[in-house]
Amino acid sequence: MLKVENLHVSVEGKPILKGLTLAVNSGEFHVIMGPNGSGKSTLALTIAGHPKYSVEGGRILFDDEDITALGPHERARRGIMLAFQHPPEVEGVRIIEFLQQVLVETKGVDPVEAYDMIIKKAEELWFKEEDLHRHLNVGFSGGERKRLEILQALLIEPKLLILDEPDSGVDVDSLSVISRKIEELHQRGTAVLLITHYGRILGHLDREKLRAHVMKDGRIVKTGSGELVDRIENEGFGRIFEEVEG
Amino acid sequence: MTETITLSDAKVIIENQIEELARRNREPEWMTRIRYKALEAFEKAPLNDLVISEEELLHFIAKPEIEGIPENIESLDDLPPEMKALLDRLGINEVEQKYIAGLAVQTDTGVIYNEFLKEWEKKGLMVLPTEEAVRKYPDIVKQHFLKLFRADENKLTAYHTAVWNGGIFLYVKEGLKVPFPLHLFFLIQESALAQAPHIIMIAEKNTEFHLIEGCTAPILVKHSLHLDMTEAYLHDGAKVQLTVLQNWPEYVHTRPMTRAKIGKGARFINTTVGLGTGRSNIANPKYWVDENGYVELNGIILGQKDWFVDLGGEMYLQGERAAGINASKAVIMDESTVITRGVIRAEAPKTKGHISCDALLMSDRAVMETYPGLVSKVDDAELSHEAAIGKIRDEELFYLMSRGLDEEKATQLIVKGFLEPMLRDIPMEFLVEIRKIIELAVSGGM
Repeated sequence: MLKVENLHVSVEGKPILKGLTLAVNSGEFHVIMGPNGSGKSTLALTIAGHPKYSVEGGRILFDDEDITALGPHERARRGIMLAFQHPPEVEGVRIIEFLQQVLVETKGVDPVEAYDMIIKKAEELWFKEEDLHRHLNVGFSGGERKRLEILQALLIEPKLLILDEPDSGVDVDSLSVISRKIEELHQRGTAVLLITHYGRILGHLDREKLRAHVMKDGRIVKTGSGELVDRIENEGFGRIFEEVEG
Repeated sequence: MTETITLSDAKVIIENQIEELARRNREPEWMTRIRYKALEAFEKAPLNDLVISEEELLHFIAKPEIEGIPENIESLDDLPPEMKALLDRLGINEVEQKYIAGLAVQTDTGVIYNEFLKEWEKKGLMVLPTEEAVRKYPDIVKQHFLKLFRADENKLTAYHTAVWNGGIFLYVKEGLKVPFPLHLFFLIQESALAQAPHIIMIAEKNTEFHLIEGCTAPILVKHSLHLDMTEAYLHDGAKVQLTVLQNWPEYVHTRPMTRAKIGKGARFINTTVGLGTGRSNIANPKYWVDENGYVELNGIILGQKDWFVDLGGEMYLQGERAAGINASKAVIMDESTVITRGVIRAEAPKTKGHISCDALLMSDRAVMETYPGLVSKVDDAELSHEAAIGKIRDEELFYLMSRGLDEEKATQLIVKGFLEPMLRDIPMEFLVEIRKIIELAVSGGM
């Protein structure tokens, strides 16, 4: 479904991704780990189509279509969704109105029906109706922001959900509901590409079915199964990098 | 070549207009004398307008009407095609379109008010055309006409006073609280006599009402300079909201002149929504606030095309614990220029004032200037200001777009969200249209 081929990306002239290749098939669950600055977020934002990240080489295919030059909204409409690491505050834009418009425009849902859908799903992520009249992420805690990202994923039901550190800055209770919902989406058929620092969010997931990748300096240097996650947890990245380089 | 109009030519033209107005309005002599005095003042008064030169003003006076607007509008099909197209895009229904085009009125300067209002008339709510009030209630009008302005302040106040016509006189009896917003708009047919409406609002003690003036739809006027004047008198404890909706066509220069006297413990909330500001819009409303009184000026400005908007606002906090807020939010597009320059003067103990200005620049050819002014003559006033001029952040836009909205829709959401807090007192039926106009303006469709 998603094919990233020999991707080179720079930000403001500085090369970040240096020939990254990755394939995610329908319904798969991939985890990307790597130290700070290895290019994990750049990969996520480039797939989502952030204009600041310029593709210098390689391409991104989605369902066999080259989407490298498409705008973020066009990628979203093809079924890609990024849950942000740092969802920005958007002053003045109410959550409910925004989500309603998204559902009406991208899924053709009737506005009244959309409203009910949103309220119902929001409860599952501990948002009350009045919370949804707040402005997008404005004054939200880390946990609230991340739960709101997951709420959007549940409503949009993307083919591919990219999660950029859904576990960072999150309290324990939020983390547990977030991982359950990710699992739920995955079971309903959404392919997941999860970027994380730690393995703790994976506690709830079946390691057997995971594909794990380790990034370093703009490339994927090692790919393996769920055990790789445990090794990183226990041994850190150092040992793995030594192996790869050695 | 257009011929040169001299000041004395203009005087002759104004004199003829005065004579015509006096006759048509069956005006008492005292009012006609006020007009003639203003005509005298016109000659010597300064013209300190940032946009209109004296030569241009004299031209306006000689030839107030714009070319290309049909003489008689008998059906919507007579409207200029762009105006018709815009009404259609806004989805305004045919009945309302007819009102806007002035088709639904019989008289030239009639005031439309519905059956509902007639009921309230019995309780002490009076709304009538100003010229009718001059005939019916000369004593009240004499006490309130041109008491907050002087005709000789400048050429525009003088010209307004000489040729004013139309507008409304609103009087609310002591203690009367009107629970629904009053919506009034002026229907302009004979342009040359309708460019200077005069509005008088008198809120007796402890009254409450909300007046909405104007319309969200574009105003079809045939003249190119609009000089309306509003004098508001709020007696002790009155709570008045005045919301002015403006959507002027691009050939109009507007100079709204508003002043209000706010009594002890009275509250005046003055909101102006400049959806279409016209070629240039310069306003410097003034407010005098007595003990415990409160005034709020909320300015919403959509700067478009190469239009010029200059919104001032001077507040004189004259009574102890009087307070004032001057808040503006501007969305500045294309090559437009928006200037805000509120001034708050603390002249009595324990007064409070705050000026805030937020602007969203949508184009790198647009210009925003803000000059907050705080003046304190006492040592225990609390005065403050804040201003923020910025553009839509890429991160916000990307976030909204990453959920499937295109750039235009995402931008519209952000702009509407930016203006929304200022629109909180505006009834839903207008809000729906205001939002639509903002959307159209943002996507360059106005």
